[in-house]
Amino acid sequence: MTANPYQPMNAEIVDIIEESPTIKSFVIVPDGPFRFDTGQFVELTLPGEGEAPFTPSSSPAITKDMEITIMKAGRVTALLHECRKGQPVGIRGPYGTGYPVDEFAGKHVYIVGGGVGLAPIRSLFLTLVDRIGDFRSLVCRFGARTPEDFIYKDTLFGAWQKLDGVDIKLTVDKANGDWDGPVGVVTKILSPKDVDIDNAVAIVCGPPVMMKYATVSLLGYGFKPARIYLSMEKNMSCGIGKCGHCMLGKYYVCKDGPVFTFEQISKYPNIWE
Amino acid sequence: METAFISKLRPFWDALAQTMDVYAPRKIAEHYVYSRYDPSDSPDPDWNEIRSCTPPKDFLFPPRELASVLPQPSEPVEIRPFAVLGLKACDLRSLEILDRVFREEGMEDPSYAVRRQAMFTIASDCSSAGESCFCNVLGGRPYPESGFDLSISPVTDGYIIQGGSPRGKSFLFSHAKMFGDVPDALLDERKGRREGVVRQLAQAHADLPLGVPLKDLVERGYDSEIFDEEARTCVECQACTRVCPTCHCFYLYDTRQQDYFAKMKMWDSCMRIGYAGVAGGANPRKILGDRLRHRYMHKFVWFFDRYGIEMCVGCGRCIDAETGDVDMRRILRRLNEELLNEERTAMKATK
Repeated sequence: MTANPYQPMNAEIVDIIEESPTIKSFVIVPDGPFRFDTGQFVELTLPGEGEAPFTPSSSPAITKDMEITIMKAGRVTALLHECRKGQPVGIRGPYGTGYPVDEFAGKHVYIVGGGVGLAPIRSLFLTLVDRIGDFRSLVCRFGARTPEDFIYKDTLFGAWQKLDGVDIKLTVDKANGDWDGPVGVVTKILSPKDVDIDNAVAIVCGPPVMMKYATVSLLGYGFKPARIYLSMEKNMSCGIGKCGHCMLGKYYVCKDGPVFTFEQISKYPNIWE
Repeated sequence: METAFISKLRPFWDALAQTMDVYAPRKIAEHYVYSRYDPSDSPDPDWNEIRSCTPPKDFLFPPRELASVLPQPSEPVEIRPFAVLGLKACDLRSLEILDRVFREEGMEDPSYAVRRQAMFTIASDCSSAGESCFCNVLGGRPYPESGFDLSISPVTDGYIIQGGSPRGKSFLFSHAKMFGDVPDALLDERKGRREGVVRQLAQAHADLPLGVPLKDLVERGYDSEIFDEEARTCVECQACTRVCPTCHCFYLYDTRQQDYFAKMKMWDSCMRIGYAGVAGGANPRKILGDRLRHRYMHKFVWFFDRYGIEMCVGCGRCIDAETGDVDMRRILRRLNEELLNEERTAMKATK
């Protein structure tokens, strides 16, 4: 008798961090150790209400708790935003294939992120920083609508900027307050000189339209489609390649993704929608 | 024991019903549906000339079922052994297709697996081709060749029963008294009857490519406006996906019961507008024609790429159930004509 793949593990929300006006991070403690690879996703159940897929934003090195950063976007996420500490939840997974971190060794890692797309990127970032010596450099280019819309502000504006081997540049669509950094969409702060493109991989995660234009820019700079890793957002439901909702051509995003190279999926229609 | 002869089927059904629940076809108007056979008061099951109206997936993948319970997991479902009579070759192939998905190693759906294990399949020959049948276009034949426990073929004054699996053969062996030997003449007769239906199907679909993978045909038609045109008469009733024996999309939803929470699993349909939408509002298939196109791509191209078999058996149930006027045979025929025209034009251009 195989285990029931639709059975969530009981868990509890033990802390809630307000990241931005529409985004909160939830610290979740599962009943047992819960392992995942960076970039894999989990199905989070609010019992009796619904379930939705999220990529944990914490380091996979930590198994006793995990952080999930959630933007209020639909019915289930709106209900999650109303939850308080102590709320019982369920988690299933992890599902799919995450970032092939070992394949990044010896290369420049160029990460382009926007909005709540920084959630999976944070998990990847923490994983890479743990073994920063394995990579030629870690170059991050992140965007948000306004300075308030950045998530993980404390570390993003502080500790991460000071890490050796890490180069972070931030931009906002609209400046306000004492923002003195670049203003404009994230593609405006990308430059072919940021990394040695022949020895680099690019990772893109963010809203679909941002991913589309970032990919176009990266291709223009000479990145090979097989070296651009995209975190695809679909409505993954079962997590095991059966229910059909997350199909992207022949792929099931839940099983074959959510991380794909552009080469894998470029021939399929409407990938950015 | 490979084959056996029986003159009347009733004692055979009754013997089956001693150890398992038996579901048998019953004719209602011009269609066959399944009902439970009770040896004490059911009339003889009807001999279904073609496949039933409802798909056999009903037995394995019910329209709605419990997927899991929180916070205390529920016990796994227990299913009594059951036999399904009158499955046709297309039905058997649909089970093979569903098996690839739901019994995939390491990713098994436990409820499906338990039901499938409990299912005793009794197949039978098609005595004629139905109006909407096109199994031959998918390389199918109107008689069972594999994937059954037992199969039944009508012949003069009785039936040939064939064992197809160890448990089917063991049934024949343990009920040997009930059966007689099969003379060669009856095997010849069975062959003749089967060939008759094969010819009937071949004549009905002479204008379609037969028995070759439809992948290329459908894939090359990706940009074709045929899908948009054909979708014009679709009323989005989703009947095609419900009666399809291979369609297996479902969605999970959560409910609140008195003292527990239940996660339910329910059939879904890729023809539904919100099917592929995400919470943020993006939806890759807002247009009905795109959803029809996606359904064909999944069935004939993407499923084939992944599993090496089309996700269609040519049973024609979708054609029977259609509220609008979307006929899979017509779409395949039109794609084929379009492809041939393109090839002719290309030939002329190179001359």
